[in-house]
Amino acid sequence: MKRGGQEGAMRELANERIKVEGLVKDFRPGLGLRSRRVLNEVSFSVREGEIYGFVGPNGAGKTTTLKILMGLIRPTAGQATILGHPVSESRFRQEVGFLPENPYFYSFLTAREILDFYARLSGISAADRKPKIAALLRDVGLEHAADARLKTFSKGMLQRVGIAQALIHDPSVVFLDEPMSGLDPIGRKEIRDIILKLRADGRTVFMNTHILTDVEMICDRVAIIVKGHIRYEGPIADLLRGDDMDSDVVLTRLPSDLGIRLQERYGSRVKGMGERIEVRVPDKDVNSLLTASLGAGAEVVSVTRNRHSLEHAFLSAVREGTASYPNEQKEMEKNP
Amino acid sequence: MIGSVLRIWPIATNTLREAIRNKLLYALLFFGVLVIGASVLIASLSYVEGERIIQDIGLAAMQLFSVGIAIFVGIGLIHGEVERRTVYTILSKSITRSEFLLGKYLGLLLTVWLQLVLMAVAFAGVSAAAGASLSVTHVVAVLGIAMELAVVVAVATLFSTFTTPMLAAFFALGVYCIGHLTRDLNALGGQADDPVVRGLAQGIYRVLPDLDSFNFSLYAVHGWALAPNDVLWPMLYAVGYVLALLFMATYIFRVRDLK
Ligand SMILES: Nc1ncnc2c1ncn2[C@@H]1O[C@H](COP(=O)(O)OP(=O)(O)OP(=O)(O)O)[C@@H](O)[C@H]1O
Ligand SMILES: [Mg+2]
Repeated sequence: MKRGGQEGAMRELANERIKVEGLVKDFRPGLGLRSRRVLNEVSFSVREGEIYGFVGPNGAGKTTTLKILMGLIRPTAGQATILGHPVSESRFRQEVGFLPENPYFYSFLTAREILDFYARLSGISAADRKPKIAALLRDVGLEHAADARLKTFSKGMLQRVGIAQALIHDPSVVFLDEPMSGLDPIGRKEIRDIILKLRADGRTVFMNTHILTDVEMICDRVAIIVKGHIRYEGPIADLLRGDDMDSDVVLTRLPSDLGIRLQERYGSRVKGMGERIEVRVPDKDVNSLLTASLGAGAEVVSVTRNRHSLEHAFLSAVREGTASYPNEQKEMEKNP
Repeated sequence: MIGSVLRIWPIATNTLREAIRNKLLYALLFFGVLVIGASVLIASLSYVEGERIIQDIGLAAMQLFSVGIAIFVGIGLIHGEVERRTVYTILSKSITRSEFLLGKYLGLLLTVWLQLVLMAVAFAGVSAAAGASLSVTHVVAVLGIAMELAVVVAVATLFSTFTTPMLAAFFALGVYCIGHLTRDLNALGGQADDPVVRGLAQGIYRVLPDLDSFNFSLYAVHGWALAPNDVLWPMLYAVGYVLALLFMATYIFRVRDLK
């Protein structure tokens, strides 16, 4: 990635909230079995006040990375720090909130009781607990079920409890593993709004997901992980600005000689003939095409940049990743 | 320090709340009280020393059933939390793994001590109804059981940090049985000519808990006198042993991956 000079790099460094360097994790599926490398030199960093999307297909290693950040499992190699603290420490977790994948709680407690339990673990005083819990239950839309036992809760309701407990102690960095999973469209919108509000309050959000529309809507920067390798890290905007992007240009009243030249140049990417033609061209060609067309007396009906851009970037990252590391497992087995 | 206590306490009370929802616990408690009550019937079959038989059986029942509760609830204590992934959110708060483990231990210990108190009340009731004498030594006998429970719960907790409930039950029962035989083993081994056998018996005696040292029921039933040191030493022994076990348990729990 290009960085804005040394000064910019320094500023970034100062604002780093999460830093991951060369993380490696080998899992041994069972006693005596050969280990499998699930994370391979994973590095990225997350800055203050941004929503960071950690994206990848199923089994790419997203949850594993998050578990290492939460100190639940130890990396085989590499370092990770949150707010400058090594993740093996506990005290700084006062500043950290975590929503696990498919969260599970003591099902014999009610929503209010479980939040009280987490609030006590976080050292929140009895006087502050009650109003805080009531406000959170409202924010995540569980007011009506506050005093029902969690064993009667649906998946989406448990997900909301999970989000509430992650925020109970006003953490400055929040980690969410698949925050939208199990939620209906309204619920997803509500959670998106909560996440955006966290950013507005100056908090940093790190979320694992494979729902690209959510990423496009709210994330500032992303990392794409495929088979334990980071394939891309940086602003979403850069990812979408790739040179291989296309635009669809629709023109009318195009002189026929220009039409023929277009056909020669772009072949099957030109649709229609005569009165109205549509041509799909690389982004970098759009300007020259428009200049030539307008100069020749044509009219421009529309220029549309292709919208599946993130999906496109994601799919090509996955394809490339799969092509680059197809035999990862076998290689590992040869030299365990 | 205060912070630690503030974090350990909610874990302990929550463990207690969860444990008292366990049906197995009520079954064991029920049978414990049943045997304490039935001791009256058994005693009535004998012409002599009926009160002693009542108290012998009563104290033995208390000990056996409360240890049963300790083992069968304790074996899943940590393993269950990891397996159900309830630890993920808990440990993401500023509580350390050691504090969590101590909270779980304390919660289970409170649970079994509560059961012990209930059985002791039943025991006192039956003794009083049968006209058997009750003294301070009886309280000490119950205290002895409480000490044994502290050790057994620590053993179950230790195994629960790294193995399945099945294996943990197997190991904990093994430690319990050998713990009650270890004195005899040591005495027996001491008579052996082979120094290896002698050393081995000594070693087992030193490493495994000497659970008979917490048994004061003979004193209570027969009304034998007890010196303060007879109670104080076993108590210190229990505390030391529990600390050593918890130290190992927290070490294992701290270094392992929670998948
Ligand atoms: N405890 C474990 N033991 C062995 N292998 C594991 C373990 N946990 C995860 N793995 C393997 O590590 C790989 C990455 O798993 P991980 O859960 O991190 O994926 P993910 O990116 O979160 O996927 P998803 O989108 O499905 O949640 C998978 O191939 C999985 O089989
Ligand atoms: Mg996952």
